[in-house]
Amino acid sequence: MTAVTATPAHQEAGAIRAALPQLAPFLGILALAVMLPFISNDYWALIGTRAAIYWVLVSGLNLVVGFAGHLAIGYVALLTLGAYTTSVLVAGNVLPPVPVFAALPVAAIVGAMFGVIVGLPALRLRTFYFAMSTLGFATIVTQIALAWQSVTGGGIGISGPEFPAPFNTAWGFYFLCTAFAAFTTWMSANIARSRFGRALIAVRDAEVAAEATGISKPKMLIAIFLFAGALAAIAGGLFASLQTYITPDAFTFDLSVLFFIAILIGGRGSILGPMLGTIILTILPEIAAPLAAWSTFLYAVLLLVIVLVMPGGIAALLDFRNRRPLASNRAILPRPAALADIVRQRAGGSALALRDISLSFGNVRAIDRLDLDVAPGQIHGLIGPNGSGKTSTLNVISGYYAARAGTMTLGDAALPPGMPALRAARGIARTFQTPRVIGEASVLQNVMIGGTIEGRASFVEAMLSLPRNRQDERMLAAKARGLLGVVGLEPLADVRADRLQHSELRFIEIARALMLDPDFLLLDEPAAGLSSDEIERLAGLIKAISGRGTGVLLVEHHADLIFDICHQVTVLNLGRTLAAGTPAEIRVHKEVVSAYLGG
Amino acid sequence: MLASILASGLAAGAIYALVGVTYNTMFSTSRVMSFTAGQLAMLGGVFGSMFTLKLGMPIVVGLLLTLIGCAIIGIITEFVAVRPVLKSLDQHLYVLSTLALALMIQQVAAIKWGTEPQPFPRLIGLGSGVFDEKFWLPVVACAITILGLEYLYRRTLVGRAFVAIAEDNFAARALGLPERNLRVASYALAGVVGGIAGFSGGELLLAFFANGALLNFYGFVPVALGGLGNNRGAVVGGLALGLFQQAANFLVGGIFSSVAVFALFIVVLLAAPQGLFGASTARRV
Amino acid sequence: MLTSVAEPLLAVTALQSGYGKIRVLHGIDFNVAAGEVVALLGPNGAGKTTMLRALSGLLPVNSGQVRFDGRDMTNATPRDAARAGLVHVIEGHRVFTQISVTDNLLLAGYDLPRSERAARVEEALSFFPEIAEKRHERGGALSGGQQQMLTVAQGLVRRPRLLMLDEPSAGLSPVLVDRVLSVIGQLRRQGTAVLLVEQLLEKALAAADRVYALVQGNIVLQAPTSESNLPQRLERAYFGHESHASAAS
Repeated sequence: MTAVTATPAHQEAGAIRAALPQLAPFLGILALAVMLPFISNDYWALIGTRAAIYWVLVSGLNLVVGFAGHLAIGYVALLTLGAYTTSVLVAGNVLPPVPVFAALPVAAIVGAMFGVIVGLPALRLRTFYFAMSTLGFATIVTQIALAWQSVTGGGIGISGPEFPAPFNTAWGFYFLCTAFAAFTTWMSANIARSRFGRALIAVRDAEVAAEATGISKPKMLIAIFLFAGALAAIAGGLFASLQTYITPDAFTFDLSVLFFIAILIGGRGSILGPMLGTIILTILPEIAAPLAAWSTFLYAVLLLVIVLVMPGGIAALLDFRNRRPLASNRAILPRPAALADIVRQRAGGSALALRDISLSFGNVRAIDRLDLDVAPGQIHGLIGPNGSGKTSTLNVISGYYAARAGTMTLGDAALPPGMPALRAARGIARTFQTPRVIGEASVLQNVMIGGTIEGRASFVEAMLSLPRNRQDERMLAAKARGLLGVVGLEPLADVRADRLQHSELRFIEIARALMLDPDFLLLDEPAAGLSSDEIERLAGLIKAISGRGTGVLLVEHHADLIFDICHQVTVLNLGRTLAAGTPAEIRVHKEVVSAYLGG
Repeated sequence: MLASILASGLAAGAIYALVGVTYNTMFSTSRVMSFTAGQLAMLGGVFGSMFTLKLGMPIVVGLLLTLIGCAIIGIITEFVAVRPVLKSLDQHLYVLSTLALALMIQQVAAIKWGTEPQPFPRLIGLGSGVFDEKFWLPVVACAITILGLEYLYRRTLVGRAFVAIAEDNFAARALGLPERNLRVASYALAGVVGGIAGFSGGELLLAFFANGALLNFYGFVPVALGGLGNNRGAVVGGLALGLFQQAANFLVGGIFSSVAVFALFIVVLLAAPQGLFGASTARRV
Repeated sequence: MLTSVAEPLLAVTALQSGYGKIRVLHGIDFNVAAGEVVALLGPNGAGKTTMLRALSGLLPVNSGQVRFDGRDMTNATPRDAARAGLVHVIEGHRVFTQISVTDNLLLAGYDLPRSERAARVEEALSFFPEIAEKRHERGGALSGGQQQMLTVAQGLVRRPRLLMLDEPSAGLSPVLVDRVLSVIGQLRRQGTAVLLVEQLLEKALAAADRVYALVQGNIVLQAPTSESNLPQRLERAYFGHESHASAAS
């Protein structure tokens, strides 16, 4: 595992060079922002400030909507909350007055808390339900602001906080907000580029696979809801100051729509796109004054167009790299020998044992008193007709189904039923019948996801890009590149995964599973859809993996592959073991042959 | 006070229930929850007021034109926001496309109709106090709609085709049912139901563009309570919501009643995501 | 086996289809003559169901041609296919559980003139007296075997020229399997062609005139059921030995 690390200094320079094209647009926008005072008037200071404040909120919300894929359409509620918290604290109509720079962090904490409260339903609800719950929250926050007159001033409103010099001029405040915006951009970009950002996208697009790699969805989501809530509340405090006087009317649902649509126009999983989206949507009504009344209509039209015509948004337009055609005659050429540099050699180790496992769906018995042993370093084939319980067995082992009866042990330790996210830590990795790959991420990122639990840096370290996080990233990237070499996909490392062929996705999944350096690898029909050449190479790869001491459980329809490489074969029929033994024994087994032929 | 709570609670509840049925009708043939449901009910009020008060048409003509208008909006929903995204694997796209269309409808209503609530005519002129028609009309409209839908689903072949598509879209297609046409028809039907909600509730809610967003939420709560696609659940849920909301309104004040409704909504969603009345149909895996 | 000079009822050439990026069928050539019973055999995951779906328009055809009754039916909608008499009874006895048996059958005749529907339903029910008794019960109240009969009856409402049955025996007891498959004999006698996808080899061979074997998306074997060593040849085809050698026969 350490053998693949090149010299760090060389890598650091390479990383900066590689990042430069991505960094350049941000530096350009920052330069424009700094130049703005010299080329325009106070009116533009107002618009620039507004765009910066909106971006402070959107940069956090972007992680929720664009990366985690949760349709939070009511974030104006958290802006309102932050605006009132800051204003009330500074005005001192409840507690003694507080300086504005102390009130902002308090607002951030309140915002973070409510960010989690509003976000929690996302753990159970998806899409429309979650959108509705954030919409409902937005409705009641406005109503409370109206009703709680003693604190909020009700419909009459309350003064916004005033910032001390030098931030009390239009341009002074503009620079303060721009500084905030730059800082939040940096933080959200750090998160996005870290294993946490990748894990968010994994939970969004391939939730099941994310679980199998040990990613804990609740932890991830709570972290970003805290982050997004805090940023939204800070934006609220700045917004209140910009407005100088706030009433509930200032926080219309149209603002929520603007934030939300800015992200979608920008493109999911991008930072630059939503930033441009925010700037465009803020400026648009200003430069086309007659359209101001129609601005929400315009945003809605834009949203519809984006959804129907250009789901990738601005980010996809700017993604020049992925428009280059790929070689059409490319072949997957695994180098199993390179496995020795990345995966450690195991000697012996403990076996994975299933005893008396039963599983039912309603009245249907999917698995009926199954015993199964997978020894380290062995390839164990699991075959049988459709519906015989092969994939169900894999799902029981990897925790997606909890067996109704029976025990699973790994060596001496019991493997608890259910809890798929804990399997990775126990050294069990798997692939899926239909490859569960994140289409919008690069091949390399997809593979790196497999190693998420090996990172040591915390969320905060990742957010601030501290040394430990940079170490994690280097380690994961090097290992992933090495494994892409092993499975023969190295030339495609930087290509978006959804541009690949089906067979290539199968090999990505194997590379991703190997990131864990697993003790046991569960392969669910890895040869389905592969050409006969590819199946041959797959066979070599699987043999090499087991040669490192990893136990492989192979579910497959291709009888030749099973008989070719397996040490042991178990045949299932109607959830029960029909036969078990060496390939030579199974091949001549009468009942097996007839079960296969359906006789 | 009890009489007031009952009268206004049942009236509001009936409107919510009808919006819930609007959601369900669209959902049944397409598996899409559309943000236009509340907007259709809003348009029922706005169209009604426009045809009868602004243009001075007879009530019956106004009602007819309103329902036709809403049916057209329903069909537009299917063509613009539903059909293009049905094929997509991305489940969330329909949320965005219907939201976009709903926002467009709302904004056009706000600009062309005005942002102030405008009066709705007295339709019959019957009853006063708690027996005022503005309270019982929505309830009667809800009852008639539900009976009509039951007749449709149980007694006509088209209605059974809706039921079949809702239960197993793939099998229905394999059987050669004109699935696409039936889906368009169900969206037109949803438009009519939404229009009835808005028209019958016009005297209570007035013709106001912002009713759309409000009804989107309050109409969705009964669906969440009753289970997706379950019309009976939506009616029970809607009436319960209306009574709960009005009771809270009278007892603790208007603002906290919406907090209470929201809290109820979240708790129910988290505790029983399939709704309180169970899943509508037992689906095979 | 040579087909007659006249165009067969169903003629499939170089058919490719699949799910999204996953290509399941790699160029299928396939014929069914009018009134013929053909069994499509093959191990799991070979693409049998995919093939029926591509033929009936439930799945898009990526390339190749489907001609039925002298007309090009490539990428026709399931509705067009059913109207033309190419009727697909999908696997898994998926009846509509909420509505009655009669209504299930009436829906199958949705396109038919109103006056004809009732008669067609009676005609279909005459094949299955055991579900005719239960015509007023909901589809969900039937047993698995009765549901399977109902789906076959749904197909018959259309008076198909070619009836495609996808694993009608799956999950049924042996007695019921024979009962369902006995209808195939009845259909053959009245001149309806049947394309049968079946796991139970012996039953399929007994019911069919001719078999095709599909392995990994390719037709590897085609033979009349009268050939004596067919089970052995199929076994070899499934397990991959000399699989492509036998395709030439």
